[in-house]
Formats: sequence, C-alpha cells, structure tokens
Amino acid sequence: MRMIFAAGLALLLSTTAQAQDADSVPAVELPPAAVTKVMTAAVNGFIRPGYDAFETSAQDVADKSAALCKAPSVANLNVVKTAFRALVVSWGSIEIVRTGPIIEQNRFERVLFYPDRKSTGLKQVQAVLAKKDETATDPATLASKSVATQGLGALEYLLYGTNADSDLLQAENAFRCRYAAAVAQNVANVAKDVAGIWDAPDGIAKTWEQPGPDNPAFRTGGEAITALLGILVHGAEAVRDQRIETFYKGAGKATFPKQALFWRSQNTWDSLHGNLDGLSKLLATSNMVELLQEKDQPVVAATQARLQAMIATARTVMPNIELAVENPGEQAKLQSLLDGGKDVIAKLNDGYGGAIGLSSGFSFADGD
Amino acid sequence: MSWRGETIDRRGFLKAAGVAFTAALQPGSLMALERADAVYASGFRAPDGSFGIATVSERGEIIDRVALPARAHGMAFSVATGRTVAFARRPGTFAMVFDAARRAEPVMITAPEGRHFYGHGHFSPDGTRLYASENDFDGNRGMIGVYDGSDGFRRIGEFDAHGVGTHDMTVSDDGSMLVIANGGIETHPDFGRTKLNLDRMEPSLVLLDARSGALIQKHLMPPALPQLSTRHLDIADSGRIWFACQWEGARNALPPLAGWFSKGEDIAFLDLPEQTTVRLGNYVGAIAVNRREGLVGLTSPVGGAAVTLDARTGKVMREETVREAAGVAPAAHGIAVSTYDGRFNETKSRIAWDQHIVRIG
Repeated sequence: MRMIFAAGLALLLSTTAQAQDADSVPAVELPPAAVTKVMTAAVNGFIRPGYDAFETSAQDVADKSAALCKAPSVANLNVVKTAFRALVVSWGSIEIVRTGPIIEQNRFERVLFYPDRKSTGLKQVQAVLAKKDETATDPATLASKSVATQGLGALEYLLYGTNADSDLLQAENAFRCRYAAAVAQNVANVAKDVAGIWDAPDGIAKTWEQPGPDNPAFRTGGEAITALLGILVHGAEAVRDQRIETFYKGAGKATFPKQALFWRSQNTWDSLHGNLDGLSKLLATSNMVELLQEKDQPVVAATQARLQAMIATARTVMPNIELAVENPGEQAKLQSLLDGGKDVIAKLNDGYGGAIGLSSGFSFADGD
Repeated sequence: MSWRGETIDRRGFLKAAGVAFTAALQPGSLMALERADAVYASGFRAPDGSFGIATVSERGEIIDRVALPARAHGMAFSVATGRTVAFARRPGTFAMVFDAARRAEPVMITAPEGRHFYGHGHFSPDGTRLYASENDFDGNRGMIGVYDGSDGFRRIGEFDAHGVGTHDMTVSDDGSMLVIANGGIETHPDFGRTKLNLDRMEPSLVLLDARSGALIQKHLMPPALPQLSTRHLDIADSGRIWFACQWEGARNALPPLAGWFSKGEDIAFLDLPEQTTVRLGNYVGAIAVNRREGLVGLTSPVGGAAVTLDARTGKVMREETVREAAGVAPAAHGIAVSTYDGRFNETKSRIAWDQHIVRIG
C-alpha cells in the first residue's frame, strides 16, 4: 500500500492491477435516451396501468360487496368471490413494485398484512366481528384501525372464514357483509391514492422517466435501470422466499400450509400467477432487453421462458394447499417452482445485472 | 471493523500462525504472506455463487479461504485472541468465528429466535466478549447481543441499542463503552431487505456502558436530516468517533455524509466539497481510520469513489474514481481499498469482494 500514495490510487486500481486469475468486466454505456425510453415504458406500460387495474378490481369488489349486502344471496356471494379472485390477481401483478408511494404511509401493509405468523390479523378480525364494531364498517374510520383489519387478508377471512356464508347471507345489511364492503372500499381507496400519485404529471413518473443531476430519484441512467432491475430481482425473491418457502421449503422438510397466502380461499396460485405475470410483463413492456449488447440479450428471453414455465406449473398445482404439500406429484411441482425462482433470480441478478455493468450482479449494488 | 494497529503486524500473524499453517499454504500464497506488510480478511462471492471469507495480503493476493453458508457482511478481529468473526448480511442468522491461522476450529453462532444479525459487531479489547448488532424484528428495535468468547461464544445477554435499524457498532479502546450506529430504517425478515419506513426514519448514534448496557448518550440527526441513515463507524486514537452515512432522501440533495463526535460532545458533520459529496453518490458504504497516519478512508459503491481525509481536520487529501468501490481498511501506509469486481489494491481476482475489510495482521 505504500505505493498507493506515491502512484495514486486510481493508477493502481485501474491501470496496474495484476490479474490474479481474471479479466475485468467492461462497464456498459447506457445512453440517456435509451434509458428514458425504457423507464417511460415501464411506468406507462406497466406501473400506471397496473395500479389502475388494481384500483378498478378493488372498486369492483367494493361495489359487488355493497350489492350483496343489499340483496344477500348465494349467487351474489359467488359474484363477490369471483371479483375477489380477480382482485388477488391484479394486486399480485402490481405487488412486485415494492418501491415508491406504495411503501409509504403503511399503504402496502394496509393492502396486505402478510406474512402473519402469529395470526394477528385473524385475531383482530375475529374481535371486530365479535364486538360488531361499527367503526369497521365505514372506510373512513376503518382506515385508521390496525392494518391487519383492513386489507386483503381481512377481506378473505370475511368472505371465506368460519361462518362466512351464514353470516353474510343471514339478513340484509349484515354486519359481516358491511365490514367486508368497507374493507374492499378501503383497498380501493389506497389503490386510487397510489394510482393518483403515479399519474401526477410532475410527480414520481417524471422523475423515473428523466434521470439527471437535478432529479430527486435518479441522478443517472444507471441508477434508474438498477432500480428497475431491483423491482424484478426483489419481486422474484419475494415469490420464492415469501410466497412459497413460507409453507414449503422442500421435500422432507416441515410444511406450513396454513401460512400460505390466501390458502382459505384457495387463491394461493392465482396470487402467485399474478406475481409471475407481473414480472414477465414488466420485463417485456419496459423492453429492457434493448439496453443490452446483442451478445447479452438472450438472458432476457431465457428469463421470460423460465417465468412462463413457472406460470404454467403454478396453474396446475392443487388449489388446496394442505393436500398439495402432502402429495408427491404436487411436491415435485412445488420444487420446480422453487428451482425456477432461483434460476430467475440468478438470470436477473447476475445475467442482466452483469450485462449492464454491475459486474457482481444486482444484489451487490446495495452495499448496506 | 477497526484495526487498532499497535499490537500485531504481518510478522506477528506469521509467528502466531506457526509452521503447520504456513506449511499447508500453496507456495504462491506463502510467498504472498511472507512479503506482505499487512494481512486482511474480507467476505467474497466466488464465480460459482458460493460465499466465503478470504485472508488477503496487502497487495491483494489471496492467502487462504474459509467457506461460509451464505453471504457475509462486516467482520471484527481480536488482537488478543487472534480470532476473526464474520457476520451474516442482514437478515442472516449466522456469525462464524474463525482463526485465520487455523489454530482452532471455527465456531458458528446462530442468532436466537426472534433475532437476526445486522451484519456488524466487535470484540472487547481482551477478546472475552463479542458484541453483535441484531434486530428484534417483532419488537422493531435494535439490540446488541453479547456473547462469551471464553465459553464457546455462548450468548449471555443483550442490550437495547436505543434505536431502529442498528447497523455498525464498535467498542472503545478501554472496553468501557459501546458505540452504535442506528441507521433508523425498519426492516423485517418477512419482507426481505425492503426498507419499511423511509418516510419516518429515526437514525441515531448511541453510546452505551459496555458492562451494564446503560445509555450514556444518544444523538438524533438534525430535524432537517431525518433520512440521513447513520451506518458505519470507526474510532481514531484521540477517541474521536467517525461516522459515515447513507442518504435516503432526494437524490439531488447534498446532505453531509460523514462526521464525528466524542463522549460528552455533540456531533459535528464533515463539510465536504460539493463535488466530493456528488462523487460519493450520497452513500458511504464503508469507513476506516488509519491511526498511525491520521487518515480516514471512505468508499462509495454508488458513486464509484474512494476518498481519503485528514483525520484531524477533515480536509480531503485524495479522491479517486474507483468503480464499484467496496471496503476500506488502514494499510501499512494509506488506505486499502477493495471493489465488487474483484480488485484489492493492485490485484484483480476472479471473485467479488464484499462491502467490508478487516485488518488481521
């Protein structure tokens, strides 16, 4: 090291470095116009439509729940349940965006309080039902209650939990029904709030699309693309770590089927399908592949192929998670989803990340 | 992660290691060790995706490797016992204590139920205590786990870190005081590495009594800088505590990125030139003090920069573009720097060096 101050650190690090056993990885040029094109496509082609769809589907559940309360019937309840499934899918798609306004002011937790290993949400929702707490039936007052009582987990229990059918259908304007309608409206309100923030002409969308020295989000195109890649990497990690491994970690290991998201409504795979579809759509609509040199571009197609294979597998797994984790054939599918998730993470992290000049992959960019 | 620099050098390391260790080294590694002025340890990722800790010469030549089950982050070295500890990257739950001279079997510490490591820790001066920054994630509070180095690193207690998102920590030279950087960022292992409270952060710098865990002093960031995450620390021989920060606010802001304080004193921020702040990308990933030469080294992987300061005045002595700059540590002369793309000073290896370096000889 004594040479460092004599010769200069940059000289030693960039010019006279001795290869112990490696070549250097060149940085990739990211033209500002190309970055803006990709970021604009990501925002306008995936993020904003995603939140709009989420808002629409949440409002649909709210409206249909309100109709059910006025005219309780099995047919109307099934209409609500079908709408709930669509809401699960639309949220699953945009849920992969774990950055921006959704993670501010507890919005994410208000939409989805999960995992909930101690069943906090279940206990709190059951307490609201037992007390018939009328403040839970007004979206305005519900919004200030525990996040575990006002999101999709609560709504699922209200629609599918113990005594759901009898409580919901027993009479017009039943308490449980009005609470469910308020939860759905609350989720729609959060969705509308987030969609509005992304739609604001001089707001976050603009900062995402035009990196620069005065930009409050990204000073350079590299920072912007790294953040975009981060959505994909973190989204893929969440699929594996938070949505599958919470209940299935591999053959011979303990299983926890009731820790699976939406196990009660048997919408676990719809939710996962939404997640995987969101990853695939963001990768496609942003056209991130255009930023890569031609020799590196196949990593995007390979990632897409793996995602599509995972989607196809997820469609075929038994919806009943308790049965699925005990069945050898289903276990093989679960294992293939875990393996697929690992492969997608590696392709995005090391493959795409390395190709845009993050020589050690995306995850090393977050030094901590 | 600091190196006190006064009691062991490469020759001491060689002597402590003994014939058995050096005889087991490859000829190239032995030569690297024999000609090194200093020896370091750093986490790495190998091309096959596996993780480990490497001992490395001042030139950057790898001397030896220890395999790890997953990615490590910070490390600490005990001059008194010759042991090094590598902590799992958050939200990991392992810490491996090993002897780089391979005189003792490694000890794997597992975080207790309801805790995970935050990636940093430090030994007491006599090596009998190991302190680790930990997350009580259901309680949403930072903790300092206390482990008994004389009893297989059995966990013997914990102290409240008096903050959230505890990250780096160190111990005063006399062992009486723990110095803690609470980054102020809430995380939970159920949400991976997602930062859950960027809109309501509470970073702080804390001094605790090392024996009782009693709070000695706590500094919050100024009201205008609530998103200035205090992350890394080192101590100068004057007792001055240097801290380095990562800004979670607007990217086009120019917040202070480092500063210092001492027991009984308020914090002071380093007034870096604007171009240096820009160069550091509002993100300092590592800090180290070279006591003998009165220098402070900072690195930024975000900005791709390494900066050397005068430890007495805070004046910038040198700043260089270092793409993917990772760790810093005091060198025999100057500051040693590693990079994610495998450079350690003048040598490039086919591994990715991780964020921190510790000097062990």
